[in-house]
Amino acid sequence: MWKYITKRLAMVSVVIAGVTLVSFFAMYLAPGDPAELIALERYGQDLDASQIESVREAEGLDAPVYFQYFIWLDHLLHLDLGRSIITSDDVLEEILLKLPATIELTVAGLLISLLIALPIGILSALQKNTLLNNCCAFFSLIGISIPNFWLGILLIWLFSLTLHIFPSYGYGSLSQLALPALTLGISMSSITARLTRASLMEVMEKEYILAARARGFDEYTVVLRHALKNALLPVVTFAGMQLGYLLGGAVIVETIFSWPGIGKLLVDSIFARDFSMVQGCVLFIAVLFSLSSLAVDILYAVLDPRIRYDMYD
Amino acid sequence: MDRNFKLILLTCMLLAVIGASACIGGEKDETAKGDSFGENSQELVVGISSDVNNWYLDKFADGDARFVWSQVYETLVRLDSNLNITPGLAESWETPDNGTTWLFHLRKNVTFHDGTSFNADSVVFSYSNKSYVRQAVLKPIKSVEALDNYTVKFVLQKPMSLPFYLTHVAWPIMGPGCLDKAGNFVKPIGTGPFKFESQTKDQEIVLIRNDAYWGNKSLLDKVIFKVIPDPSTQVMAFENGELDMIIKVPEYDVKRLEAKKGIQIQRKLSTFTDFLQFNCNKTPFNDTKVRQSVAYAIDTKALVNGVLNDIGKPAGGRPYSPNMMYSDPDLKTYSQDLDKSKALLKEAGWEDSNGDGILEKDGSPLNCTLLVSKGAWAARHTLMAQVVQEDLRKLGIDVEIQVLDEGAISKLEGVENFGMILRTGYFVWGPYPKHFFIHHSKSPYSHYYNETYDQLVDAADSTVDPQKQKELYYALQAFVIKEVPAFYLVHEEKVVATGPSVKGFVITAEDPWLDLSGVYLEKK
Repeated sequence: MWKYITKRLAMVSVVIAGVTLVSFFAMYLAPGDPAELIALERYGQDLDASQIESVREAEGLDAPVYFQYFIWLDHLLHLDLGRSIITSDDVLEEILLKLPATIELTVAGLLISLLIALPIGILSALQKNTLLNNCCAFFSLIGISIPNFWLGILLIWLFSLTLHIFPSYGYGSLSQLALPALTLGISMSSITARLTRASLMEVMEKEYILAARARGFDEYTVVLRHALKNALLPVVTFAGMQLGYLLGGAVIVETIFSWPGIGKLLVDSIFARDFSMVQGCVLFIAVLFSLSSLAVDILYAVLDPRIRYDMYD
Repeated sequence: MDRNFKLILLTCMLLAVIGASACIGGEKDETAKGDSFGENSQELVVGISSDVNNWYLDKFADGDARFVWSQVYETLVRLDSNLNITPGLAESWETPDNGTTWLFHLRKNVTFHDGTSFNADSVVFSYSNKSYVRQAVLKPIKSVEALDNYTVKFVLQKPMSLPFYLTHVAWPIMGPGCLDKAGNFVKPIGTGPFKFESQTKDQEIVLIRNDAYWGNKSLLDKVIFKVIPDPSTQVMAFENGELDMIIKVPEYDVKRLEAKKGIQIQRKLSTFTDFLQFNCNKTPFNDTKVRQSVAYAIDTKALVNGVLNDIGKPAGGRPYSPNMMYSDPDLKTYSQDLDKSKALLKEAGWEDSNGDGILEKDGSPLNCTLLVSKGAWAARHTLMAQVVQEDLRKLGIDVEIQVLDEGAISKLEGVENFGMILRTGYFVWGPYPKHFFIHHSKSPYSHYYNETYDQLVDAADSTVDPQKQKELYYALQAFVIKEVPAFYLVHEEKVVATGPSVKGFVITAEDPWLDLSGVYLEKK
């Protein structure tokens, strides 16, 4: 298993190296002169060419792009993601400052999605061809079809404007977490519910379930002890992947609810053409995503003894 | 199914719902309606769309930062709510040599938020070489010196109307206490009616009343600026009572909010004007007749009525908003006249020779691109661009709209690969004379080269005699109407919404200045 983890970590570093390359050059291929944009930010609209040139020189933007990339990589190896070219804030510090908000939102969103999805998925799997099953299927369809930004606004309208239960934006208290977490949770839960349903239905057809029934176990024991544990394996994988994706920043949700997380930081930085911040965020998200998928794979082995990582060695 | 099993599943579901509710509703929110304030508490919560990116004079304060700056810092010269120039921290000023030397006589008994006195040294500090305003805008300043405790002398390389420049909120007077002994910025210290209390990045800025303020002290104890970039979220938070005031209400929300009980909407023409900037250096807009034809083709009244829900005023080509000093009230503006428009195009040699509805000249069709920014004005500019496209199609001009981000527009503009750009006012407030520089051949944004225009702009900028200045600015406005280096579409209206408990607010025409004097909150 340790060999497997080491191999995967090596693969992760290859992926990250690729990410650094793509994110760095993609920003340079984007239209617009970074020096001019920084100068605009610093000096306002009353600009002249000499100010743009002095910014270009001061920020090292006059060097060839590949050279700038290697300098950035060199700093990266020393865990230095550089400074924001707009605000001069330390990029890593800024990302770590936003991380708790993103983690909070991610965990709450995932929790809510599981709390909604698992009962619905299990019920609809066990109640095939009934009204309840149709209702669950309808819920899933709606959940998948509604875009996050629209669901967010709908929830604000319902819970803030109409019922006055939760505030519509902001960060700091549990009630402010409610609507963004619900938005994320609901949108994720529909897929998880469908997955749970499909997986449980498949498992319920297995011979060992028949065998369990034949041995006289009641339905409750059959489902909880025998079926559910196996049926939840793909759900765990999916939840793990979602976790990685969300940790990277639920961009739209964070923007709608003014949630100060990494996703919003990334969007703001893209609009401000803050190259170093964008590169830092993308790299950070890539690392989080890769590590969380590795963690899911390991968890998979813990949950399912049939999976042996030795076979990969 | 087994009865027990059903029961367990139902319990499971119930627990899930309860769990979710407990997780999300366990704590009462401090900012929810009515909770952030005690009754009669004078804490005003204002929604802004961007955080304060900078508090010090070495960088530009952009976006909504200036609404916050205008509470903390003050300028030497001020504008009243109708944009007339009035004394600020300077009680009076004079120029003994027609604009090259300026003497400012400062207000006495004014203290900074840290208790130190406002005096000539703090003006010298604020306009030192380190300040970005010296580096970017006021380059012609040769020196700034304190003649005595309350008199400051500015010496310029050329005559300029310096007081006009000094009204801008983004280059106010700061206390030397902003810096520590090592010269590092510590906190904002100004002379304004509110003192800086705290800032939580991208969330809120808290200001408290300055009890030692030299003017009328604020009736509010505290002002909290909440940063909410999404305009819809901002409006919803306002409707929910989480915000007492929003200072940029989107046009499409104004009528709906006006109809709501207790909500007050105040509107006032701002100094911003949306305009179509032409690439006067390339076909087809290098021909004045084509530009004039476009001016006759666009119905700016319909733009305001149809697209902007009657918010704003049709400009008809007028570059200066009517409320600005030196805006010519008798300026003859354009109104839609398609016959004239078609005749001008014909005179310019454009005709539909193949009957496809698009005009041609020397075998080339009359088409162009119209660039629209994805920025803050995108929502209304995109709709306006569509109306322009439709109006010009009637003439036989094929317009392709491209909605791009600022960087992409700047790149296309740099290589002159565009026909028109839809923009909003540059350098406009009060009597600040810089706007006309946008069509000056020295401007990086200019694609118009006309010596007469350049001379007029330079002369207006370096004249201090009000009568002469007025004549020159009137001449410039007439020049823009005649030569159309840009066609000015709509004078923007500033719209501020206040909640039921907010009393005493009076809107000002100066866009980044938020005047909270006289504002108080009635019992909620």
